[in-house]
Amino acid sequence: MTQEIVKRVLEFIKNDDHTEDAFNDQALQLFRYQYKHNIPFQMYCRQKGKTPRMVKSWKDIPAVPINAFKELTLSCEDPENAEDVFMTSGTTKGIRGKHYHPTLDVYNHSMLKNFRERFMNGHERMKMGILFPTEEEMPNSSLSHYLALAFKECGTNDSHYFVNEKGLQVDSLLLELEQAEETGNPLALLGASFSFVHLFEELQARGRSFRLPAGSRILDTGGFKNKSKELDLETFYTTLSTLLGVEKSHCINMYGMTELSTQFYDDGNAMVPSVKSGPHWIRTRVINPLTGEEVPNGEKGVLVHCDLANYNSVTTILTEDLGMENEEGFLLLGRVQGAEAKGCSIAVDEFIAAAKEPSQ
Amino acid sequence: MKEIAGYLPRFQEGELEYRTLTFEGKSEKLDIQVPVLSKQQLDDVIAVIKQASANILKSLTVTEIIQIIDRVIEQLLDRTNPYRQKAEKLLPIVTGYDEELIRIGLTNYLKTFRKQNLQRFLVEDFGNPLLLDDFQPRTKRGFSKAVGANLTVQIWSGNVPALPLWSLISNLLVKSGTIGKVPSAEPLFAGWFANMIVETEPRLADCLAVIWWKGGDEEKERQLFQQADIVLAYGGNQSLESIKSRVPITTRFLPFGHKISFGIVSKISLDSRKAWKTVRDAAYDVIRYDQQGCYSPHLFYVQKGGNVSPREFARYLAHELENFEQRYPRRTLSIEEGVSLAEWRQKEEMSLFTKQEKEVLGEQNGSWTVVFGGNEGELTPSCLNRVIKVVEVDELIDVLPNIEAYRTYLQTVGIAASPNELFQMAELLGAAGVTRITALGHMTSPEAGWHHDGRFNLLDLVNMVDIEHSAEEYAESLASYVD
Repeated sequence: MTQEIVKRVLEFIKNDDHTEDAFNDQALQLFRYQYKHNIPFQMYCRQKGKTPRMVKSWKDIPAVPINAFKELTLSCEDPENAEDVFMTSGTTKGIRGKHYHPTLDVYNHSMLKNFRERFMNGHERMKMGILFPTEEEMPNSSLSHYLALAFKECGTNDSHYFVNEKGLQVDSLLLELEQAEETGNPLALLGASFSFVHLFEELQARGRSFRLPAGSRILDTGGFKNKSKELDLETFYTTLSTLLGVEKSHCINMYGMTELSTQFYDDGNAMVPSVKSGPHWIRTRVINPLTGEEVPNGEKGVLVHCDLANYNSVTTILTEDLGMENEEGFLLLGRVQGAEAKGCSIAVDEFIAAAKEPSQ
Repeated sequence: MKEIAGYLPRFQEGELEYRTLTFEGKSEKLDIQVPVLSKQQLDDVIAVIKQASANILKSLTVTEIIQIIDRVIEQLLDRTNPYRQKAEKLLPIVTGYDEELIRIGLTNYLKTFRKQNLQRFLVEDFGNPLLLDDFQPRTKRGFSKAVGANLTVQIWSGNVPALPLWSLISNLLVKSGTIGKVPSAEPLFAGWFANMIVETEPRLADCLAVIWWKGGDEEKERQLFQQADIVLAYGGNQSLESIKSRVPITTRFLPFGHKISFGIVSKISLDSRKAWKTVRDAAYDVIRYDQQGCYSPHLFYVQKGGNVSPREFARYLAHELENFEQRYPRRTLSIEEGVSLAEWRQKEEMSLFTKQEKEVLGEQNGSWTVVFGGNEGELTPSCLNRVIKVVEVDELIDVLPNIEAYRTYLQTVGIAASPNELFQMAELLGAAGVTRITALGHMTSPEAGWHHDGRFNLLDLVNMVDIEHSAEEYAESLASYVD
């Protein structure tokens, strides 16, 4: 059964059928499969009154909140036998969400086809500099796997990692940048957004800046996660382009999640916030979190993604990201911050944080 | 619509700068301009207030001050008064609460500041309120006088309408000059009140200022705190912590952090005749200000063994919340609040997979939610906005182990129990850190003179000045009439 499902998903990714019907059929087929084999998901659906008989369209599939990946084991197959498990970074309570992949085949296909189309700009391979730890150093990180795939499958032999257990390897990275400037060979820099901020700080401290050769590209992802200074998007991309000499339109932001198997990209960041979109096997709705209903076009809401490459967990997840739909895709408007208490009553987040401190 | 908030004494040079805060009501938009002072202007205001506080405020008797406040409150209780009408019109837009709920809430709240109640405030803390006017003889011999600070800085928070009045009035009673910072969530009422005080007694024009600055503005806060005698602040522990770091060691700091409150329902209150009232009172505590107050309940502990079981209590409560929703609908939530509510609810729903005895009740649109949590007794905070948990206990004392860990956060307990139970539980709850025990249905309207977070409203705002007996005796020996 599983092999059959994997085969079909791979085919769907390969066939460039962009129609609503094709998406719908595939989504409903996956829904029935997941409803049957993913027991916690089945219970969730039943509680919502969404059994396979009631679900007629991909939009009817109950969206599973990403927190559920922390509380429940969402997998159609025995998680013990999974080829890999990606985990979210820590939370206030220290429980990490787990996403099981019985085989990475689907994830890898989904990532590569999409990555080539949206980042590689027609090149088979490019020289890459990766500003993130390797898979060996961060075995459960979906991002380190993603970057390792890019490095292996789309990077040239002289590509390098510039982060190790000691942090960003500034000296060797600067040598690489100098060399690129000298040779005129385009360079692709890929990494976490906060790694670039660390690079900014180093460059500014040393009073250095570069003009990378034409064709060079930058991919950042994941935001700052309290690991660096928080920069607003405008400042971030302006600094990126000033210090490295890559036009903002060639600075691509990738939006991905541990709970998904497919990523979204923009077409550069000349304008922020940029429009994000994904390939034909993922669709996004913008909903009102209280009612679960779609908000009118052009209004803010919470993003729900239906990712058909998520064949083993659940296709449809409810994020904590704010967004707004438009013609080409959606604007990502940042994470929904925990609502701050307006009155003097304690807010949940604050309470959890406070309760963890030693009482005085 | 436009409204200018705040109050400033008559001073000074230079253009005043305003910052606009925008509020979107159900049908109307309101721009509120709050005054923001430059460094120089702030220094000027501080100097003016300190002087007026010493020369004018301190020359009034406490009886005169009570009369001034009483006259203002009387006007505010009059629904034809222009300020009152403005409050009834604008506060619903600013806070989002239902108009009717605000009207009732204001009246109830303002009543606590009538003359008789203000006298109660004073007696509660001082015994003899004349201590504020003059040196009074002490039983141990000697004399004492309570002297209010020249300048107290108050940082208010919250969107419960008119909340700053507690500390602002307290400060006036002890004859202390005030510079208050209005909360961005409700920047209006404190300024109106200050204006009314001055209209009633123009001599007080230079004794107070109600202004705004961006919370955490280090430079401004340092400048102010350096020159203040007392800094009083409401807020979350994190913001209090950062305010504290800027208060000089010689300045008294009075922090009021966020708190958690809950209810206790004894089986005695759950016989067939009384149960409906108990449930209604509980629901009322939940809907008042959509649980935004520190005194609002997050959870109800309900005792088993009554005619109405805890599970039934939860269902009745759901029913009652639906009734209230028809009459006093919950305010519109921001998307952030919507997300936390949805998250909280989903988490409870998911826990049903493993805990069959639980129950999650609520309409699809999430205007209220009741979770019957079975015996999941730990005091967990609600995400507020009419979300409440009901937990069953065998005996009332079974509540105690569940609240133990949170003693520094506990505040109010609303209780429905027999006199014996009340006093027995009061003893134990007090030992556990609770500072206010009130009737179910009264959680959100504390009595005049309550000890906020267990502290004294007025005593903390003054210094006692003692004349010891020896000085008196010594002076006697030096009197001109001595033999």
